[in-house]
Amino acid sequence: MILWNRWTENARKRPDRDAIVHWVAGEDPYRWTFSGLVRAAECFAASLTERGIAKGDVCAILLRHNRHLYPLYLAVSCVGAIPAILAYPNPRLHPDKFREGIIGMSRRSGLDWIFTERDLEPVASPLIEPAAGTTIKGLHFPLEWDMGTTLSGKARDRVEAAHRAAAPADPFLLQHSSGTTGLQKPVLLSHRAVLEHVRLYGEAIRLTDTDKIVSWLPLYHDMGLIAAFHLPLAFGIPAVQIDPFEWVQVPSLLLEAVSRERGTISWLPNFAYNLMADKISDEDLDGVDLRSWRLVVNCSEPVRHESHQKFIERFRARGLNLAALSSCYAMAETTFAVTQTAPETEPAVFAADRAELSKGMAAPARTGRPDRLCVSSGRPIDGCRLKVVDENRREVADGTIGELAITSVSLFDGYRNYPEKTADVLRDGWYFSGDYGFRRDGEYYVIGRKKDVIIVAGNNVYPEDVEDAVGKVDGVIPGRVIAFAEDNKDIGSEQVAVAAETNVEDDAGRKALKLAVVRAGMSIDVTIAKVYLVPPRWLIKSSAGKPSRRANKERLLEGA
Amino acid sequence: MITNELKQTILGALKLDDWNLTEQTTAPEVPGWDSLNHVNVILAVEQKFAVRFKNLEILKLKNVGDLQRLVDAKLGRP
Repeated sequence: MILWNRWTENARKRPDRDAIVHWVAGEDPYRWTFSGLVRAAECFAASLTERGIAKGDVCAILLRHNRHLYPLYLAVSCVGAIPAILAYPNPRLHPDKFREGIIGMSRRSGLDWIFTERDLEPVASPLIEPAAGTTIKGLHFPLEWDMGTTLSGKARDRVEAAHRAAAPADPFLLQHSSGTTGLQKPVLLSHRAVLEHVRLYGEAIRLTDTDKIVSWLPLYHDMGLIAAFHLPLAFGIPAVQIDPFEWVQVPSLLLEAVSRERGTISWLPNFAYNLMADKISDEDLDGVDLRSWRLVVNCSEPVRHESHQKFIERFRARGLNLAALSSCYAMAETTFAVTQTAPETEPAVFAADRAELSKGMAAPARTGRPDRLCVSSGRPIDGCRLKVVDENRREVADGTIGELAITSVSLFDGYRNYPEKTADVLRDGWYFSGDYGFRRDGEYYVIGRKKDVIIVAGNNVYPEDVEDAVGKVDGVIPGRVIAFAEDNKDIGSEQVAVAAETNVEDDAGRKALKLAVVRAGMSIDVTIAKVYLVPPRWLIKSSAGKPSRRANKERLLEGA
Repeated sequence: MITNELKQTILGALKLDDWNLTEQTTAPEVPGWDSLNHVNVILAVEQKFAVRFKNLEILKLKNVGDLQRLVDAKLGRP
């Protein structure tokens, strides 16, 4: 089966049921029924075939929160093309950096078309000029298409011929990590992988016909795309989609939607628990009833016990059940979930001895000794196997900290056109995640990572991108910059810190330089929360001759 | 016209020593004023002026001038 067949089957079986409730603050939500969504997708599909979009074409979709995004996405898949939802650029992202990011993606994934809004035309047009050296054939503005609401006989024939040509093993979607220096890793998933994953993950969270997903997650992120969009759409249950930009400004919107729509399941990155617990006023909770919320799944950032505690303490009086707290370990490379805690059971918390942790062992903390509370991410879902391995990729015993390796029926085949990166992480059917953790009583605990990627509020920031931007600032010694993650307990996430070598010594000059470093971060849409200016030759080099992120971070934080 | 009181409140929330804030200044132009910090700016302004903004009022703000006008309206200033 292919996804399109599943969607049309749902439209036949439950034509009038809500498929997507498109939420806009202060307005009545727009409700796509399953049949209405498929009908709109067919009209988009006919327009796509008229415009020459063909099987296998990679179609980047860059649209802000708009109800037409969903049928367009379905339509791209209907004609056998491959949708890739990308983040609509933030105004602070410099147009050159935006284009560099798209050019990098185009080189890896062979991007064919961009579907976007007219506002982006001046910035995106240079990408289709021959000099840009991209594979992009054209820009389309689907929100301006005049398509009608029904298909003519010929158009229907074209659309049907297009999706009949698709097979379960064909590529279905492309997920792209963000970035500006060409480090993006495109993950291509087949129809079979996504459908199989939806089935298996649905079982793991005991999804039923009465569930309703509520989400503010961006659809360019695997958690938003797979868990909060594809899972309900394939399963045949409704999903409420809130604008991520509205939610982050007014976090109570999620609770309002759960309460009004009687939502049952949401996925959230850890920082969202802190944000909602700390920043929502009592007034905004008037009339909010969270009793319907049976699962609030913490995923995509390390899970913090104190965030869960804050959240439950803040919203218990609104009907939030302690057993709704849940956690999951997931990644785009395995389609989404790898492990999941038992539904409607609070995740296990293990107090590990800090001294033992630093020696690579997860042992229970003895009374009076400092501990670290580690939250379980649960057991492998069906179809997935995990092992914890040492640096030689040999499996280690329970309680020993190592890298988590995964094999899964929904595993990707490799990064598209990126064989060297694929060879690093994929061997003999196992994906070596770069995440560190341990197993205890059959459950997995994720506590850190080998990779230097910085996870800020659920979004991956590549230190290379930040170092590249900061290295070009006047006053910073080129190549003598590191970017790294600093923990921020208050926001329940990480923040980006930078250390840069400079010859500037006077106070006014250093102040101006720090600001220039922060602005360089802004140009790539990264907030640099802390800048350390250090003298020339201060940064410790790694064996490769480049400044070592890890060693310098330790040195800086020890001195702080 | 952005009052010094509002300017200092915003800069304080963003931990900035100084920055030129005009009526036309938008959040993405100001260091540290990203989507995550926006809620801190709003809470700091609400606290400083002892006012409460409605959700839709917050979502309609396009620049610092809008924020100034909203504060003024809440305080009954002309």
